[in-house]
Amino acid sequence: MFKRVSATGRSGRVLAVVAVSAMLAVSACSSSDASGPDSDVTEIKIGTPLPLSGPNAALGKDALQGAQLAADILNKGLPGLKLPLANDKGLPNLNHAKFTIVPADTQGKPENGASAVNHLVNDEKVHVLAGALESGVTKTAAQQAERLAVPFVTSISSSPALTQQGLKWFFRTGPTDVTYAQSFFGLLDEQKKKGISADKIAVLYMNNTFGTDASKVAKSLADANNKTIVADVPFDPAATDLTSQLQQVRAAEPDAVFVVAYPPTATLFINATKQLDYVPPAVMAFGAGFIDAGFISSAGDGLEGMSRRVAWSEDLGSRNPAAKAVSAEYQKRYDAPLTENSARVFTTIMALAQAINNARSVDPDQIRAALTALDIPGRDTIMPWDGIKFDDQHQNTGARAVVEQRLDGAWKVVYPKDVAAQDIVWPASDAR
Amino acid sequence: MTIPDTVPASGKAVPAKRFPWGRYAGIAVVAVLLLVFPVVVKTSFLQTIGVLALTMAIASTGWNILGGYAGQISFGHAVFFGTGMYGTALLVGHGWSPWLTMLPIAGLAAALGLLIGLPTFRLRGHYFSIATLAIGMMVMSILPNVKPLGAADGLSVPLLDNGFWNITFSLRDKTEYYYTALGLFAVATVAAWLFLRGRIGSYLEAIRDDELAAAAVGVPVRRYKLYAVTMSAALTSVAGSFHVMVVLFVDPSSSSDLSLSTAIALIAVVGGAGSLWGPLLGAWLVIALQEYTRTYLSATGRTIDLMLFGALIILVAVVDPKGLVNLIKRGYRRVRS
Amino acid sequence: MLDFLQALTNGAFIGAVFALAAVGLTLVFGVTNMINFAHGDLIMVAMYVGFVCWSLFGLDPLVAIPIAAVTMALVAVLVYAGIIRPVLGSSQLAQMVVTFGLLTFLRGVVQFVFTATPRRIDDPIVGRLRVVVGGVAVTGAQLVSAVGALLATAALAWFVHRTETGQALQAVGEDAAGASLMGINANRMYGLAWALAGVSTGVAGALLINNFGIDPLAGAAFGIMSFIAVALGGFGSVLGAALAGVLLGVVQGVVGLYFSGYTLTAALGIYLLVLIVRPQGLRGTR
Repeated sequence: MFKRVSATGRSGRVLAVVAVSAMLAVSACSSSDASGPDSDVTEIKIGTPLPLSGPNAALGKDALQGAQLAADILNKGLPGLKLPLANDKGLPNLNHAKFTIVPADTQGKPENGASAVNHLVNDEKVHVLAGALESGVTKTAAQQAERLAVPFVTSISSSPALTQQGLKWFFRTGPTDVTYAQSFFGLLDEQKKKGISADKIAVLYMNNTFGTDASKVAKSLADANNKTIVADVPFDPAATDLTSQLQQVRAAEPDAVFVVAYPPTATLFINATKQLDYVPPAVMAFGAGFIDAGFISSAGDGLEGMSRRVAWSEDLGSRNPAAKAVSAEYQKRYDAPLTENSARVFTTIMALAQAINNARSVDPDQIRAALTALDIPGRDTIMPWDGIKFDDQHQNTGARAVVEQRLDGAWKVVYPKDVAAQDIVWPASDAR
Repeated sequence: MTIPDTVPASGKAVPAKRFPWGRYAGIAVVAVLLLVFPVVVKTSFLQTIGVLALTMAIASTGWNILGGYAGQISFGHAVFFGTGMYGTALLVGHGWSPWLTMLPIAGLAAALGLLIGLPTFRLRGHYFSIATLAIGMMVMSILPNVKPLGAADGLSVPLLDNGFWNITFSLRDKTEYYYTALGLFAVATVAAWLFLRGRIGSYLEAIRDDELAAAAVGVPVRRYKLYAVTMSAALTSVAGSFHVMVVLFVDPSSSSDLSLSTAIALIAVVGGAGSLWGPLLGAWLVIALQEYTRTYLSATGRTIDLMLFGALIILVAVVDPKGLVNLIKRGYRRVRS
Repeated sequence: MLDFLQALTNGAFIGAVFALAAVGLTLVFGVTNMINFAHGDLIMVAMYVGFVCWSLFGLDPLVAIPIAAVTMALVAVLVYAGIIRPVLGSSQLAQMVVTFGLLTFLRGVVQFVFTATPRRIDDPIVGRLRVVVGGVAVTGAQLVSAVGALLATAALAWFVHRTETGQALQAVGEDAAGASLMGINANRMYGLAWALAGVSTGVAGALLINNFGIDPLAGAAFGIMSFIAVALGGFGSVLGAALAGVLLGVVQGVVGLYFSGYTLTAALGIYLLVLIVRPQGLRGTR
């Protein structure tokens, strides 16, 4: 076998590497090229950098399914669904162009977010980007999109800093941690008016970007609302036990505990509450782990009485016919419930569709202009929001959050009052 | 007790008079291929592989000095890479040119290497390796608590104007990043080669092959291990300094994760530790595999990519435990004889 | 004071898990002079074995222990014969590469078959148990893990030091060539060491699923802790690995009470400190 390669043995091997690379290059180049006048556009590609492997893979899959459902409905319609563009079978203002979702795996790591965006834009020639889930990953992905001048819309990442960097191509449809935290504080104020002690707050959070940002927001809002942080307890995101940390929280005797944990450590938190037989009067979870269906089913009764902040609630959704229809369709296709993550991504794709439709073009500048001018009323979405309208930092001012509590195996909205199904059960132990 | 490696170093039995045409031709061919790569290859995906492979090749060349030549296997080299990333990010944020940061930060990394080496070099074999693993992880667990380094959020490198002096180039075509990386790699390899010539190289290899025997014949083992770690740390740090200018940010997990340390070591070993070509070959193979499988196979969430990657690594180790370079050398020798 | 005792107890119990993970690993090292970097992921596979027993056959994790033990022993022997044996004579580096490849491969296979969605055992038998002694609470799962760890360590230590086969294992670990001259089949001893490690990972995995979620990365944290425990305890010493595991757990538990962001740092710090003072580990020789 080696004789064939003769005296240039080493170069022969390297030539083989180059040959393989060339073949890869050819195959990678064969994706459809969507440049050219807009009258030729038949396909609109949306790149979705998401964690499809790694610790948050379940969340990533759920988000991707939300996007795919939206694209499918845009392309093929869903009879009976009363949302803009839901039954037009493609974009009416753009040759009935169809949507394709192009996923890319970030593995939940910020550096992969950047390279995923690079690949999606330069090789796959996507027209816009929607992602990336973890705030840390969205940060780098958005910076890449900025350098490449491609619109990037995030639904899930809630770190306020993302829309405070002055990026011109980055938009956010979902609420920020400030909006989320404000819903918690609003609830606490309501409790105070009823004479229930609600001033002492403990924060139990992962020591990563998401956790530390959320805790910073909680602390600054606590100062503004005359509440005290009695315990600040960060923990290693890869921890194997949280009992000691919960003890620290318990020792401070908080009225409410804010919890920021992805699914693996959310489970450890529930374990710790069981071991110590201790549930604070109120547990308020910042999404993430508490959104994951797998975590919820495994936590079982251990979750009763705990609350979470969400941008979308199934409880509220059932009162909105469009949300109900989409939720049912999602359950049918994916054998899993629509979550606030997949609901937000769904909404973002629908909003992007409307923006591109308004722009009548896939030119990045026109899409950006259309996004900036976008004004979708809340009733034209499946979200309990005021609507979708971006301020000059490209943050959606219409995004709202609600607080729901786990009662009798279901989530019930307990705040704000105008949409609440009932009052919060306080202390949480009364619900167990 | 490690079962000693009794296979003699390859290629050294060639009689002194024969001019090593093969070796120089080999270097020339590889150089040409590397130079031509970005001209031939234009997709962002492949260009990213090129830049990342060369960056990791520099880091692994550094690792190789300590691991391949001196035989001290470190699983904590991400610490040095991270020093390069954080150091350059901080200084560039204060207005320094990235090029000017490389040497001082490499010096810092070298000092860190000394600091780590002093207590750990009395440990031998696996004890040393696990200790470096622990140090690496300790750094990663402390970083999110260090506010001046951005804590959990890390640091962003400001976007400077495009230009060679700023190591900032267009993103649409990575050719300039590639050639800069290639140049750096060439410099790093020459530096490693010069460092290992003569006494240092043979002493280190003696330490690697049998530390007790080396000490017995008078090799100042401890001192030479310390020399090795300073050079090793410095080179790996330079790779980190360059890398942070490409990705423009650094945070605890991207700079000091265990997986980064293992990648640096793995690349050198798969390519062939103990040879200066090893890191280059290993980097191209490992990075290409890693990027290809994640980009094209992982999007389905059904991880054929990981299975393939794992199986291939196992295959390489079983087919030729001394790495790709040795595989090639064996072929070459068989042809020559 | 009570809080401190509770934290100490927690730490000891999670430490028992680390100990259980570490003893199999140290045995393989002692006999074959190899670190198996995929050890944590073998535990992860064992967890999935336990999960399958529960989801397909309705078996409680406690019942699944022997099934997991036997399955993992088989897996370990297969791994040994297929990919470890060919690189036994090679350098430490090649062995390292092989076990890293195995680690990646295992995670890939598991995610391929089960997807990345975390799984959990609902309502394990031990989950209904909760004991409070003097104000300190301990869950059934923790008790069972501790008992399991204790038994496994004792059994392994007894086997290695008190049986003839165990002596043969030690002989091969110390001097493979000499042992073969005495008629001991080194290859068979290596296989046995791996099989025993497999048993320990099987037991560990089946015990862990009482308390922890099961996903492709579940083995990572335990794997790393087991390497540290093995090094801290002294490579090759079963008792050392067990002690070290418990120590690491206790440090994490206690530090978690006061400096919650530094639990891992503290555990690693203790390990490094001990190494400086005593390079061969707690109970290592040389």
